[in-house]
Amino acid sequence: MRILVLFAHPVETSFQAALYRTVCDELKGAGHEVDALDLYAENFDPRLTREERMDYHDLSKNQTNVAAYVERVQAAEAMVIVTPVWNFGYPAILKGFFDRVFLPGVSFEMVAGKVKPKLKNIRKLAVVTTYGGSFWRAFLVGDPPRRIAKRFLRATFSLATPVAYLAHYDMNRSTDASRTAFLGKVAHRMAHF
Amino acid sequence: MKALVVYCHPCEESFNAAVRDTAIRTLEDNGHEVRLLDLYKEGFNPVMSAEERRCYNDKDCNIDPVADQLELIRWADMLVFVYPTWWFGLPAMLKGWLDRVWIPHETFQLPEGKGPLKGCMENVKKIAIVTTCGATWLQSKVVGEPGRKTIARGLRYLCCPNCNTLYLAHYKMDASTPQSRKGFLAKVERKLAHL
Repeated sequence: MRILVLFAHPVETSFQAALYRTVCDELKGAGHEVDALDLYAENFDPRLTREERMDYHDLSKNQTNVAAYVERVQAAEAMVIVTPVWNFGYPAILKGFFDRVFLPGVSFEMVAGKVKPKLKNIRKLAVVTTYGGSFWRAFLVGDPPRRIAKRFLRATFSLATPVAYLAHYDMNRSTDASRTAFLGKVAHRMAHF
Repeated sequence: MKALVVYCHPCEESFNAAVRDTAIRTLEDNGHEVRLLDLYKEGFNPVMSAEERRCYNDKDCNIDPVADQLELIRWADMLVFVYPTWWFGLPAMLKGWLDRVWIPHETFQLPEGKGPLKGCMENVKKIAIVTTCGATWLQSKVVGEPGRKTIARGLRYLCCPNCNTLYLAHYKMDASTPQSRKGFLAKVERKLAHL
């Protein structure tokens, strides 16, 4: 499969960067074609601009500034997102990717006033993520990033899209053993993606 | 009370700008002292850099890039957020403001060993969220309102323990009418007057 791997962490020596490398290596090792999109390395600007907001519903113009990203999303057959959870949400650089690239005519179309999903090319989704807080704290807050993945993104692709959500909670108290175990789990899941 | 209005929309002619103006006027009419933080107008950069991430947990350097913003949120008794809900969440601009400004040691303390994280923003006693959603009420509930929860649960936890929250949303913005928008502004006025 052609797999778009979205990565959203600024520090090369972070545990997140290790997860990103593991994901890419394992997917390639399993024979997939990997399109690695490191948002920080590409200097992606997540701010939807005034001009983009004005042209948002104009299908002839709205992709102008992000055409290359639209192409990569449309060419993917699966998506893997590697990201930390900050403040119970995605980092701005990843949130902005959805704000600016998931446009009318790209991820959805309006048919008789109703939103119709359009990214049926993406048949599988995996999210590999780390939380500072514990599972229960995230649960009490309502775990927004999990819901975004399992409900919003799934609905955008197709309700039948399988979503693998791999999370290491409580990073503030993680140990070498817990991190190694999580890397192993991610490697195994990616090898069998 | 001292109210900080955190506003996030790129277009000055948007309905969100009208909501912002209604909120400010209402708060002032009710005797509050108001300051406005307009993130787009300020050209705020929501992307946490590598250097900032490395310093994030270090109390000697994590304040430097956002000292002026920290001063604003420490000044406030009340936070009023005005923004459009995009993809069920906060615009990247606003999400990045939370990530970069609400830093450890200043807005919360990480536990030593076991135990919960502790908020340090006890000055904030009220939070109001005023937003517009393209989705319907039901769709928002089914997805679980991630944006609302990020602020009303996640951020609120760092504020005064009995901090009040108010959430006002105009749903189905794409099908809104002059009448529905007018009605919503009136509601914003009514609710904020009794905050």
